[in-house]
Amino acid sequence: MSRIIVITSGKGGVGKTTITANLGVSLAQLGRKVALVDADFGLRNLDLLLGLENRVVYTAAEVIAGECPIEKALVKDKRQRGLVLLPAAQNRNKDAFKPEQMKELVSKLAQNYDYVLIDSPAGIEMGFRNAISAATEALIVSTPEIASVRDADRVVGLLEAEKIQKIRLIVNRLRPEMVQLEKMLSVEDILDLLVVPLIGVIPDDERVIVSTNRGEPLVLDERRPSLPAIAFKNLSRRLEGEEEVPFLDLLAAHDNLLTRIRRLFQS
Amino acid sequence: MNSDSIPAPGSDLSAYLFLVNRFSQVRLKKEGEKILLVLPKEEKNEPIADWSKVWEELKYRLNNSERYWQDGSQVHLIAKNRLLDSRQLQIIAEALDGANLKLKWVCTSRRQTAVAAAAAGYSIEQESPNDSLADLSSKESDNSQQEPLYLRSTLRSGMEVRHPGTVVLLGDLNPGAIAIASGDIIVLGCLRGIAHAGASGNRESTIVALRMEPTQLRIADILARAPEKPPTQFEAEVAYIASEGIAIAKAVNFTKTHSFSPKIGGWIDVENELK
Repeated sequence: MSRIIVITSGKGGVGKTTITANLGVSLAQLGRKVALVDADFGLRNLDLLLGLENRVVYTAAEVIAGECPIEKALVKDKRQRGLVLLPAAQNRNKDAFKPEQMKELVSKLAQNYDYVLIDSPAGIEMGFRNAISAATEALIVSTPEIASVRDADRVVGLLEAEKIQKIRLIVNRLRPEMVQLEKMLSVEDILDLLVVPLIGVIPDDERVIVSTNRGEPLVLDERRPSLPAIAFKNLSRRLEGEEEVPFLDLLAAHDNLLTRIRRLFQS
Repeated sequence: MNSDSIPAPGSDLSAYLFLVNRFSQVRLKKEGEKILLVLPKEEKNEPIADWSKVWEELKYRLNNSERYWQDGSQVHLIAKNRLLDSRQLQIIAEALDGANLKLKWVCTSRRQTAVAAAAAGYSIEQESPNDSLADLSSKESDNSQQEPLYLRSTLRSGMEVRHPGTVVLLGDLNPGAIAIASGDIIVLGCLRGIAHAGASGNRESTIVALRMEPTQLRIADILARAPEKPPTQFEAEVAYIASEGIAIAKAVNFTKTHSFSPKIGGWIDVENELK
């Protein structure tokens, strides 16, 4: 039974695509067969992040139009076995497709893959409706900012109305040193409002930006492990159903004497 | 609470009166053995976007209302002047099915809806448009409060509940969400969004929350913003109209210590008055 998971957030720029790419790679590293679907029609990005842009020939649009079989449109990742990408069309807009077509596309993929991860566009319009139509599970991405949390809340409401029961939260781009000084929402603040089970916390790190620009997901870099990469790997293990994967203690590294004194003066 | 009256009386307020009075949300109601599903009237100026809204509301109500009906109860759909095609009727029937309800009757004032319903095998009750309007409006605008609406869910950002009566919410009311009731609003959870009690003008209405952190509180025609500095401790509190605007008190003893004075149109702290 394959799992169809949509990665969504409401707000743009919170890291949906980065998370989809890294999660896809790390699930494939665990030996799973993973298909990534870029549902952001008209503004495709996922191929860039995976460094597969120059290998895209056909896209989801041609498959939906019946111009090519789905196998032909799938781009295999040479670096990571078991990972394929179904690119989004660049030239059509988000309203050119219907949820039924998306469902059909995804159910075809589901026959051959353990995971189908759908990267949803920002917003809650037709593109979002398409992206969630086929999914049975959802990962909500939120950064520790009120606008992002507010939009995530709205999206959770919409997903609940669509009867997507398994909804879990990823807090992205957390900066522990700022949380420590109470300048940023903490994970607990976000959970208090959203009341959605937490499945991962990804710390903010400039190496994420570097890897994005290079088209090489961070988790592929085995030689120089980074904190976000470890967080992504933990996330994928939790997704696999491993209950006992502890969350990284992001705050510990920053709880030194200096911050303690600073906090003392602030309060 | 900083409270101020809504500046231009009539403008804002009447808009809200209108909101509650036109019963613009889907309602489920028990009448004897049967369940009534009342759809809002079709508005002339917003016919199409309307259906998706009605559909969202119907799903929400079915999923989150208290299940006071027996499995297999028969449903009378009061469609009023709403145009429903056979596909929409089918969607409604399927949604009801999911909640173990059976669509049996369709009551409408539109011929096309009646035809579609007949084709799908439902019993029809067709009213002539004029007398149904007169009938319904007389029945509904006597402004008597409906039975309380009990919801067991979190009202998330973007959601809106309107009810011509008291609303009881077992869950949080999140920022960006709004509850408008012509009676009281009771939030058994955290109130962080907007609550408007007594929206059809009843100044006696109150807002109760286990944790009061609202964006805005409105009672009848009075509006209050949350204080700039949030309190450090929370307990169950009640918001009410006092002589100088909206005030907040501990909920525990409220009914013992306060009484409503129709003369000043607000609640009076009886104990302090005596001293």
